[in-house]
Amino acid sequence: MHFKIFLLIKLFVLFLISSASALVIGSDEEEIYIDANFSGKNLLVFGAFYSDPSQARDDKSDILIEVVGPSEDVVIRKKESFFGFWLNSKSVGFNDVPGFYYLSSTNEITNEFLNKNNIGLLNKKDTQLIDWSALNIDWGNVKNQKEKDTFYDALIRTKESEDVYRKVNGEIQIIDGNLFRSYIEIPNTVPVGQYKVNLYLIIDNKISNEYSYNFMVTRVGIEEAIYSFSKNYPLIYGLISLLIAILIGLSGAEVFKRFRKV
Amino acid sequence: MSIYLPIAELSVNIILLLSIGGVVGFLSGMFGLGGGFLMTPILIFMGIPTNVAVATSANQIVASSISGTIGYWRQGLVDFKMGGVLLIGSFFGSILGVWIFSRLVVLGQIDTVISILYFALLTSIGLIMLIESSQVIRDRVRRKTVKRKIHYHNWAHKLPFKMKFYKSKLYISAIPPIIIGFVIGILSATMGIGGTFILIPAMIYFLGMPTSKVIGTSLFQIIFVTALVTLLHATTTFAVDAVLAFFLIIASVIGAQLGVLAANKLRGEEIRALLAIIVLGVAVKIALDLLVEPNEIFNITVIRALF
Repeated sequence: MHFKIFLLIKLFVLFLISSASALVIGSDEEEIYIDANFSGKNLLVFGAFYSDPSQARDDKSDILIEVVGPSEDVVIRKKESFFGFWLNSKSVGFNDVPGFYYLSSTNEITNEFLNKNNIGLLNKKDTQLIDWSALNIDWGNVKNQKEKDTFYDALIRTKESEDVYRKVNGEIQIIDGNLFRSYIEIPNTVPVGQYKVNLYLIIDNKISNEYSYNFMVTRVGIEEAIYSFSKNYPLIYGLISLLIAILIGLSGAEVFKRFRKV
Repeated sequence: MSIYLPIAELSVNIILLLSIGGVVGFLSGMFGLGGGFLMTPILIFMGIPTNVAVATSANQIVASSISGTIGYWRQGLVDFKMGGVLLIGSFFGSILGVWIFSRLVVLGQIDTVISILYFALLTSIGLIMLIESSQVIRDRVRRKTVKRKIHYHNWAHKLPFKMKFYKSKLYISAIPPIIIGFVIGILSATMGIGGTFILIPAMIYFLGMPTSKVIGTSLFQIIFVTALVTLLHATTTFAVDAVLAFFLIIASVIGAQLGVLAANKLRGEEIRALLAIIVLGVAVKIALDLLVEPNEIFNITVIRALF
């Protein structure tokens, strides 16, 4: 109930700001904090198809929500059998790939549509259609196209298995014909940094309107402080780690000595 | 109840962590072993990245070897001069070891190399322990006592740069201890071990040191090797996890004390044989991981994350 009132107020505000728009959206988060106990979070994205609430949703219109996380450079290594041992052999470096990618739609969106509008990383059904030029890739020893495709698939597959790449449809709820909302699962494995949410209103297989906004994912807490300290002051960090070991080692011996005398 | 390890970047159960530290500490206290050779592979089995497991084990061994050295030092069983000469070699060995390690990380071969090294190491330790303990058990049954030579004269006495080691009653060349130290330094940096089980036989058979002084002296030098390895890893591979180390140290120091007490009360050989079987089991697991075709032949490493 509380949620609905909040949603309506926010929508009303958005309505006043952008009354001409055919797509209005809002979100409940501007920043997500990840601490040691973070076990994932559902990010709420909501909005309306049309700014005039009395205008009912057209059956032909669909919503597409895309969330793109901060870029990272990754290396995909392939294991091959050498005399019975499975060892890493060929490797491909993918630069500036999103650390998080989520694509959600009210209806199944065709790959043709995604490719035409240059949306999506997960439309890998037909690798011929992938816009390779969009990615900065270091192919190493991998020369032939078929093998390149296996590396591309492996990138998507490993990211999917870590729950950081997802493509879903039918998860967007439609309320009263015009309003929509969707909970986007942000698992605790996501990288930190700036995330971009892109929303598209699609009518008759064409993007009729689009809207984007950003939110941040930040790590907080003592664990984060330790992590950044170890990167920024490695020598002091190493010395402190040693000091802890020395102190516990010494006190262990001391306690033991007394224990033995008893 | 779980805790997030900031460098390993994963959550682990605290009870599990303390149990592992405690059990490894207990075994090391009981048998006078460093325990690193069990700690590192167990951490890897838990899913902790290889580089973090190796670097953090080194940090943990600093604590356990200090604890151990003090006990031997009080009984006058540490040859500081010999320890110092060994350390000269270890110093250069560990620098080379950390360099090799970081090259292997870049090449993506660190996991494989560590697995192969551990397989070789654990298989040999396991077999030696198994053979030794079964011989002792057999001899006990036959009521035999084994006489051992105290002092060996070999090639180590013929090399130049001879030094007097009063505590060990030795007059030998400084070269063999430096070489032994060098090898231990490399192994310590690449495998996250103290290297007692290699150091002790090497000191007895190659240097001819009296058995009574060997354990204390090796523990003494291990403090400094693993301390250096910890610092080198912290500054070059950034893989020392202080939170992981903290829990392992607490548990292993307590475990080690209990292990020493237990060693005085229990008959060692049967337990030693059991430990040998555990060690061989770990070796088999490592071998299977290398030999069985993985479900996913591709693996991903994040090289650089933009903030």
